Amino acid sequence: MSNAVEIRELHYRAGKSFAIEDLDLSVPTGSIYGFLGPNGSGKTTTIRLILGLLRPRSGTIRVLGEPMPLRAPAVLGRVGFVPEQPHLDPTLTVCETLRFREAFYPTWDGDWAGRLLQTFDLDPHHPFGKLSKGQKGKVMMLLALAQRPDLLVLDEPTDGLDPVVRRDMLAALIDYVSQHGATVFISSHLVHELERMCDWIGVMDNGRLVSELPMERFKNGIKRLLVSAAPAETESAPFSVLARDRNGAATETWLVRGWEPGMSTWFDARDASLQSVIDLDLEDGFVELLRTFRTPHGKEVR
Amino acid sequence: MFDQIDPRSPTPLYAQIASRVRVAVAAGALRPGDALPSVRHLASRLRVNPATVVQAYRELETEGFVELRQGAGTFVREVRAERRAGERAHQAATLVRRMIAEAGRLGVSVEELHSAIADEMGAKAS
Repeated sequence: MSNAVEIRELHYRAGKSFAIEDLDLSVPTGSIYGFLGPNGSGKTTTIRLILGLLRPRSGTIRVLGEPMPLRAPAVLGRVGFVPEQPHLDPTLTVCETLRFREAFYPTWDGDWAGRLLQTFDLDPHHPFGKLSKGQKGKVMMLLALAQRPDLLVLDEPTDGLDPVVRRDMLAALIDYVSQHGATVFISSHLVHELERMCDWIGVMDNGRLVSELPMERFKNGIKRLLVSAAPAETESAPFSVLARDRNGAATETWLVRGWEPGMSTWFDARDASLQSVIDLDLEDGFVELLRTFRTPHGKEVR
Repeated sequence: MFDQIDPRSPTPLYAQIASRVRVAVAAGALRPGDALPSVRHLASRLRVNPATVVQAYRELETEGFVELRQGAGTFVREVRAERRAGERAHQAATLVRRMIAEAGRLGVSVEELHSAIADEMGAKAS
């Protein structure tokens, strides 16, 4: 089995205003897949579909090789989920919360849960409801990891938490992944966090997946070019031009996708001159991709 | 040694990690027989994909800087003095290339760069 999550031709509709249309998404087994998109783009809805909490109008969802939501009970036993909002009984202590959760998971690793309590510096006798936001986040991560899942689904797990807490949570996540080779599907607004650890990137916008690529290709493929005597015709270019802006009379700034070293010869052959190639980091690439995807003239890119 | 890796840089993370090890070997900060951190430990400390660390270590192995001993870990190999000097020269060239490019962007001339280097070196020696 090559994909831990595989969504094909999925349609979903909630009310009149929001729909996910024709979604194809593949999360390779063993990858750390970063799921990006602005608020309201459909990330959380997609996550709920993956978990079998929502039913699609049409299309298929396979998680760990099994059809969802049909096989949800069996599949969810192998999936660790960290939701955006913690949803635990606030009156139970941390220790009681762990014991309650343990009962549902035959794969539960009690020793490791105990060590994580120490690593995370959590008081097991403190009621969950009285923990700080950061401590609650750590408990959610601990619960997801201690069940030793094959797939971790994390919906903005570190949103609104301080940098020290985020660091501790992600270090524990990476530690688990390097031991067990689990697959991680993580959505986050903290693009630089994803840039460090993900090897795949999927970008949602307005209910559609607008890009899905290995991280290196996503990052390296998008460049800003400074071109003088820019040719009008770009159909023959070996890269795709997402946007072009004039900087006065002499030069233009192009945003291109699919760039590779050596493509500058295309400009030479047209008596244009490529003055510089500017690298974009993941955040710039993400923002530029959404900008061009939303303008009517931008080509659709996959 | 690994604290300054920059995920936003266009240089891939694995290449940055490998480069840190090469520099440490060239400078003598890592000696033959020294162990590199385990993949699990370094990945979780840097919060990078474990595959990234594996890729860095494999590259270093191919280049002959380290050896992977099954089950024991990754260890620095004996690297000849000329090779270490060569690595330092390579790092120096990289630094200067970066400096010249930045100077060009800022409109600083080669002469001005030369005299600034001489001044800084003088200030450091005195």
